Amino acid sequence: MTKKRIESFIAPIIMFLLIFTGWEIIVRALKIPKWLLPMPSQIFKSMIVNFPAFWPHILVTIETVLLGFIIAVPIGILLASLITSFKVVNAALSPYVTFLVMVPLISLVPLLMLFMGYGMNVRVVTVIIQSFAVVNMNACTGFNNVPIMRQELMQSLGASRLQSYRRVILPTAASDIFTGVRLAGIFATTGCISAEYVGGNMGLGSQIIKYSQFLKTTESFACIFYVTIVGLMMYWLISFAQKKIISWKI
Amino acid sequence: MEELGKKTLQEPRIKFDNVSKVFETRSQEIVAVKDYSMEVLTGEFVSIIGPSGCGKSTLIRMLDGIIKPTYGAIYLDGIQVNEEGKMPKETLRKMGFIFQQPNLLPWYTVRENVALPLRIFGLSGQAWEKRVDELLELVGLTKSGQLFPYEISGGMLQRAGVIRAMVHDPEILLMDEPFGALDELTREQLNMELLEIWKETRKTIIFITHNVEEAVLLSSRIYIMGTQPGRLVSTVNIDLPRPRSLKMITQPEFISYKQKLTKLIGDLDLSKIK
Repeated sequence: MTKKRIESFIAPIIMFLLIFTGWEIIVRALKIPKWLLPMPSQIFKSMIVNFPAFWPHILVTIETVLLGFIIAVPIGILLASLITSFKVVNAALSPYVTFLVMVPLISLVPLLMLFMGYGMNVRVVTVIIQSFAVVNMNACTGFNNVPIMRQELMQSLGASRLQSYRRVILPTAASDIFTGVRLAGIFATTGCISAEYVGGNMGLGSQIIKYSQFLKTTESFACIFYVTIVGLMMYWLISFAQKKIISWKI
Repeated sequence: MEELGKKTLQEPRIKFDNVSKVFETRSQEIVAVKDYSMEVLTGEFVSIIGPSGCGKSTLIRMLDGIIKPTYGAIYLDGIQVNEEGKMPKETLRKMGFIFQQPNLLPWYTVRENVALPLRIFGLSGQAWEKRVDELLELVGLTKSGQLFPYEISGGMLQRAGVIRAMVHDPEILLMDEPFGALDELTREQLNMELLEIWKETRKTIIFITHNVEEAVLLSSRIYIMGTQPGRLVSTVNIDLPRPRSLKMITQPEFISYKQKLTKLIGDLDLSKIK
């Protein structure tokens, strides 16, 4: 157990070192210009030196991702409950949810900006659209896969819809819901960056674009790394919540 | 108790009157049960035996409000219970359902699982909580109460499933091949424990099984069902003395009952092949 834990902890670190050392060596050996591909050491340096300049943008990105995510998850779960409970709702909404998953978000953002301007709102809305659908689809799978015997148990006790939902349906679907929530964490981050790409001058996405236009590739990469950190943070947060909430084994 | 006795004279506790169940699939209609009639008196232990697919599980599900019959009527204490809509909680409270698998919820401890019907039926108070503990003790689960289902053995899980069905003090127990998934030894042991419980509480029990020996050992009367469509083929009264024990299975009377039933069920299969 402990050996496994050490392995799973050490292995990614070694991989990390290998990748960045390899990258560093190749760039140095081939004398690749900084504007084309900077060295990792330069990128890390920029992450620290330019931190004061990056910080407001990091903050905006985190705010947008979290806000959108926090709104999207309950919407996704609530909608899934309705879709799986009422056939009419399913027929009415499912095609549009699928549509929202399939349509490339980047094509919607300019339209949204036309309606809502360049502010925070449009970015949060983008994040919501991008992330609620995966929560919804996975939650639907979970709600639809409640074993018949468990439903029969609740029927034999004359449980109300709410009682069944709270005691059987929601806990049964919990692990599927979390799969969706974890994906939503990733989608929220990418959705946020897409929205920042297209318009406005706040958030890490806008900075990546700005620095690449001026061929400041090092700074651009520094921002990309910060995006990665934001994404990882989301992932850890969700995993932590999952461990706290699903304490049982099947 | 006396009042119950009087009632028995007037009417059976449970009555199936020409009950049929037709399931409709996209392409065809499947007759799961056809014209089934049966009367069970208070305190009786009856078994329904038959090959898989004969609709025996469907029968007790119709009684417990899980499935609605297509035709016919089901009476509980003289009141028809198969009307449209959800069966009222007062009616459901009279029955406890024991599933083929323990069917415990993994997110609750063993004790929470056993107490679940109390929460759903809205039965609270010291007396009910004490009852949970007594039942846990009855089947030797006192120490396992705070454990989660994955932490205890299959036999223990099914014991928890049995007492969960009894926790709200129902007068009727409906058992759907409850020990079918267990090994032979555990099964025999649980059958004996069940007889003990029945002797002490005098619940009315309908026991679904496909095991002839088990049916003869436990029941006062056995209903034999055939398939395609699921229907009542014959009824056999088991006049073996009580209390029954595992020793009886080697006695000539027991064996003759067993042979009779095996033959009846065997003829069923033959007629199907013809």
